[in-house]
Amino acid sequence: MKNFLIDYNLKVRLPILLFVVLAVFAITYYVSYAERVGVGYQPVQPIAYSHKLHAGDLKIDCRYCHSDVEKSRHANIPSPKVCMNCHSIARKDRPEIIKLTDYYTRGIPIEWKRIHRVPDFAYFNHSVHVNKGIDCSNCHGDIAAMEVVEQVKDFSMRACLDCHRNPDQTIKNITPGKDKKLINNGPTNCSACHR
Amino acid sequence: MDKKYIDISENIIEENKELIPAPSASSDGSDEPKDINYWRSFRELYNDPSFRKEKSMEFHPGELDKPDLNTFSKFSRRKFLALLSASAAVAASGCSNYRDKGELIPYNKKPESVTVGNPTYYASTCTGCSSACGILIKTLDGRPVKVDGNPDHPVSKGKICAIGQASVMSLYDPERLKNPVERVNRVSPNNMDWKTADEKIIAELKSAAASGKEISVITHTVNSPSLKKLFDEFAKAYPTAKVYSYELFEDTPRNSAWEKCYGSKNYPLISWDKANIILSLESDFLGNEGNKVETSRLYTSGRDAINGKEFNRLYSVEGNASVTGMNSDYRLILKTDAIEEFVMCLLNELAGKEKISSYSSDAGIMSKLQSFNLKSFAEKYNLSEEVINHLVSDLKKNQGASYVSAGSMLPESTHIAVNMLNEVLGNSALYKKEVSNVKVMPLSTREELENLVSDLNSGKTTVVIHYDSNPVYHLPPDLGYADAVKKAKTIVSLSESDNESSNAGNYVLPVNSMFESWGDYQTRNNFFSLQQPVIAPIYNNRQKEDILMTWISGNPDSYNSDSYHKFVMDNWKANILSSAGTDSDFNRAWYAGLNDGVVMVSKKEAAAQEGENVPAPEVFNPASFVSNTSSMRSKDGFSLLLIKSGALGDGRHANNGWLQELPKPVSRIVWDNYAAISVQSAKALGVDSNDNISITTQSGKMDIPVFVQPGMADGVLAIELGYGRTVCGTVGLDAGFNANVLMTKNPALSRWFYNDVKAEKSSGKYELVSVQDQYPMDEPLYKDIQYRREIIQEGTYLQFKENPDFLHDRHTKYSEEETFKLKVGSINEQYKHTGTKWGMVIDLNKCIGCNECVAACSVENNIPVVGKEQAKKHRSMQWIRIDRYYSGTPETPKASFQPMLCQHCDFAPCENVCPVAATTHSADGINGMAYNRCVGTRYCSNNCPYKVRRFNYFNFRDHFKDGIQLEESFTLMQNPEVTVRSRGVMEKCTFCLQRIMDERQMAIQENRQVKGSNVKTACQEACNTNAISFGDQNDKESDIFKLNNSKLAYHVLEEIKVKPNVTYLAKLRNVYEIEKEEAHH
Repeated sequence: MKNFLIDYNLKVRLPILLFVVLAVFAITYYVSYAERVGVGYQPVQPIAYSHKLHAGDLKIDCRYCHSDVEKSRHANIPSPKVCMNCHSIARKDRPEIIKLTDYYTRGIPIEWKRIHRVPDFAYFNHSVHVNKGIDCSNCHGDIAAMEVVEQVKDFSMRACLDCHRNPDQTIKNITPGKDKKLINNGPTNCSACHR
Repeated sequence: MDKKYIDISENIIEENKELIPAPSASSDGSDEPKDINYWRSFRELYNDPSFRKEKSMEFHPGELDKPDLNTFSKFSRRKFLALLSASAAVAASGCSNYRDKGELIPYNKKPESVTVGNPTYYASTCTGCSSACGILIKTLDGRPVKVDGNPDHPVSKGKICAIGQASVMSLYDPERLKNPVERVNRVSPNNMDWKTADEKIIAELKSAAASGKEISVITHTVNSPSLKKLFDEFAKAYPTAKVYSYELFEDTPRNSAWEKCYGSKNYPLISWDKANIILSLESDFLGNEGNKVETSRLYTSGRDAINGKEFNRLYSVEGNASVTGMNSDYRLILKTDAIEEFVMCLLNELAGKEKISSYSSDAGIMSKLQSFNLKSFAEKYNLSEEVINHLVSDLKKNQGASYVSAGSMLPESTHIAVNMLNEVLGNSALYKKEVSNVKVMPLSTREELENLVSDLNSGKTTVVIHYDSNPVYHLPPDLGYADAVKKAKTIVSLSESDNESSNAGNYVLPVNSMFESWGDYQTRNNFFSLQQPVIAPIYNNRQKEDILMTWISGNPDSYNSDSYHKFVMDNWKANILSSAGTDSDFNRAWYAGLNDGVVMVSKKEAAAQEGENVPAPEVFNPASFVSNTSSMRSKDGFSLLLIKSGALGDGRHANNGWLQELPKPVSRIVWDNYAAISVQSAKALGVDSNDNISITTQSGKMDIPVFVQPGMADGVLAIELGYGRTVCGTVGLDAGFNANVLMTKNPALSRWFYNDVKAEKSSGKYELVSVQDQYPMDEPLYKDIQYRREIIQEGTYLQFKENPDFLHDRHTKYSEEETFKLKVGSINEQYKHTGTKWGMVIDLNKCIGCNECVAACSVENNIPVVGKEQAKKHRSMQWIRIDRYYSGTPETPKASFQPMLCQHCDFAPCENVCPVAATTHSADGINGMAYNRCVGTRYCSNNCPYKVRRFNYFNFRDHFKDGIQLEESFTLMQNPEVTVRSRGVMEKCTFCLQRIMDERQMAIQENRQVKGSNVKTACQEACNTNAISFGDQNDKESDIFKLNNSKLAYHVLEEIKVKPNVTYLAKLRNVYEIEKEEAHH
């Protein structure tokens, strides 16, 4: 009897248990991948700014606000002063614009929630990519259709390398006026991003 | 020896007690040097078995020491707080949204000139010492992160010394004063607000002025025209105010000698670049004298072998082993007290015997010289007759194109004799006529300082203001200032941090650093320079001039952080820009001046100004020489030299860890000063390195450890000042010994040079840490290995001229094709670098071993300070080091300096052994490190033939001095373009990858190819002498291509065929001998 129990435990229960544990782990791993790399992250912003309205319906170029994207590592978040270029006249009565004007006049910077992020030990450079003609949407998705911005693409090293190795297949959109043929494979050596 | 460490060559060493001679490289051996024997230290020279063992081991035993766990349990306050905040952070993060990525906070109104992520540069002026060099400050996101020389500045020309480089660490120093402090009863410090402080101090000032008591303002050199004007206004508001200024190191003997000879107090500037022959008499013009940034640049411009220029020749006659001496072509070792006699003998030889000058007919001079004889002098002091003959004939041949430089510590009488010598040789041709130094306000004389002390003692002076100065530490102790100042009713210290003088006072007011200040400076008659703030005051500190203006107004509420800015502008509008003769529109001229950092004065105006300062045309007055009497000879006992530390200056930067950890160029000692002494003198005293001796001068006595320095004259002691601060931040607190106590107010010779000094063995030992023996890259079994392994390659200038190929005749340099076929160095195929291939060339003819590149690298690449204990264990983290090799005997060594950094080998041995591929090669030839991939096996370091990899045995930021480098203010200092490394990862030079990436960004933005000459590495940018070149080796047009293929180019350890990308240009000594056997005399 005792032997049987041990036998049963070893031969049937243990493998089943192991299988279940591994299966759960594997499923969780794959299902949560998107979550882990941040896909779907859509925080509430201090001002309910709509990219859909501005970039989509009004067709304002991304670079009107993110003006340093061609000159710097960072695609800057515009300062309220840029918003006020229009909103000192336009739609002054809307509650969100009143909030914005308040930030501006009191001289308080707006603390936007960060959505996209690569780790500190990787040095991503916006200007290098944008100046080669790679459209923002390749990494950020169709921002112009988003009421509230969320992360839609994977920002892991795998995603970087996928694109650096096969830009022909992975790069969908090109900034108008640039030639897709000009885009060579990106560097894949470590020191291209890590220093 | 601990058995735990496996030493593969242990048996071999035991069996072969004697060194095996190296195998002969060529069969005939005709061109082989026979006697060159390079050595790093006495341990190596005398074949210390422990050193041989050390060299053969994978890691130095100390390097592998386990950390002492007991020290971890003792929580200091700072560690406890760090732990507390860390646990709070953990607790907080547990509750928060794990997907949260923080905030991005843009400017509210972004300034137009700022592009987030790109640096902004501001021209300013460095006030680390009184030279007031022009600097260019790099700011990122509003934080100054790097300082370099201002290329538009006529003196700096884009270069700055180590103090300027490292000054960002002083800006962010967490131990700076943060609030005004009232020291109740001069003991317990209490924070106070500015208004109360101003109110109290103004009341004190007013009462002192009303009762006719003196207000003494004590400051360092005043070289700012606006500050001088402000002091004048202060004296108007408080008529009893008087300004005193002093420096620990200044040029009084030189200038007063000049006054006696020529009538003006202003020693001229020298055209070092036009001197074919330079004779340095105890003068360390490459290491610490004058504006060494400018001097070393001008000097090495005469050392350009590649462009076929004639070499200059440097003779040095000295008792100390200085940087200049170690760089000289001929070095005569002479006890310092005989130097004046040497000058007289030389004068007699040249003017008396050779009759090369019109002074030869001056009876007074001739009779004075009669008693001196160079030949018997040389015999008496055992100087090489051959060298003396060369010197005399060189000076004779190069009349009007040579210069004799006397050390600034030498007494006035020597300077007069040297002025005469220069006059005899016609060297006044090298004195610059148009440009000269300007003293905005002369330093206080000795008598003035003595009066100050007696006024303090008698109660005539009741208020003392230490205006960013530290006289208690700096002034000679027998002046009695430290005691006298205590008698003052009120002592106010305006200071960046606590010091010996502020500790004696009632009020301590935190002032702005040079990064937070406005200012203007004038050091020469042909330009003014401007200083502008690049960051708002970090703490509750104020600009000292603004504080003074508040006191002048008498109303504490009148303070405005902009008032001195306006004051400078008004002064410029009224007095300076008009005389500078620039743009007629003031605003345009002012902003142009701010942009450039300097405003040049037009030639006409300069002449007019000079007319004011220097009335009479300068004609040598022979009577000064005839009436000159010398008392320089020492009877018995030691000659003591108190010298300026090239890195620390006068000690005000003692709390700067980067500077403390910078090895001294010759001894390579870090974190300490010491008494340097010759081999024979050490024997006579019965001491060895690290033994304490006690030194007694007429004014003081101190114990200090000895360092036996090869190349010192017997009977000379040399001690650096600026160490041994007693009131200072934690970093500088226990570094070195205060040798200021040996100075006297009334020296017979000069404040920095004493004869008849008593020295005797004292009890105890103190360990000095020299990093010289660390990272040896030669195998222990062969003698002369440095030469055989082609680490140091040298020749003479004549040899080079006779046979430009001399180096390549004896040195195997493999061509591209050959190595391509070889495949020896690597398991990999040779990769064809077709595009850009980065490379560096270091010209050893120009490298003077000053270590400024090391400081620049530390700042650029976020190198942590590790501290003395860890430096001793071979754990310094500096990515570039300057190896110093001696050759010759311990008594008369020659030195060879060699910067050593990652060579970015094409067949990098480190890459082959990394189990996790954390170090890999890029297509443009860079050996990269991915820190986040490194697991810390240290295989790469073991396999690196050049020993340039550095391992983070600790998180040194956390480990050093209770984690002071983790303080929040220091996080602002880090260069965001370079990863801050943590414990357990390997790191090394990256060829300033971040700068290469900047160029790549610009190239893509401008749609062009990457251009090698657009990239300057931090060490290259900092190199005063332009010894370092960097660029694209495949660019046939570039300088580096030319240098790479020059006749002097060689690779260190060429024979191991790893194909390094750092090329060295062999050092040429400009001596008369062609054979290299000269190493032995």
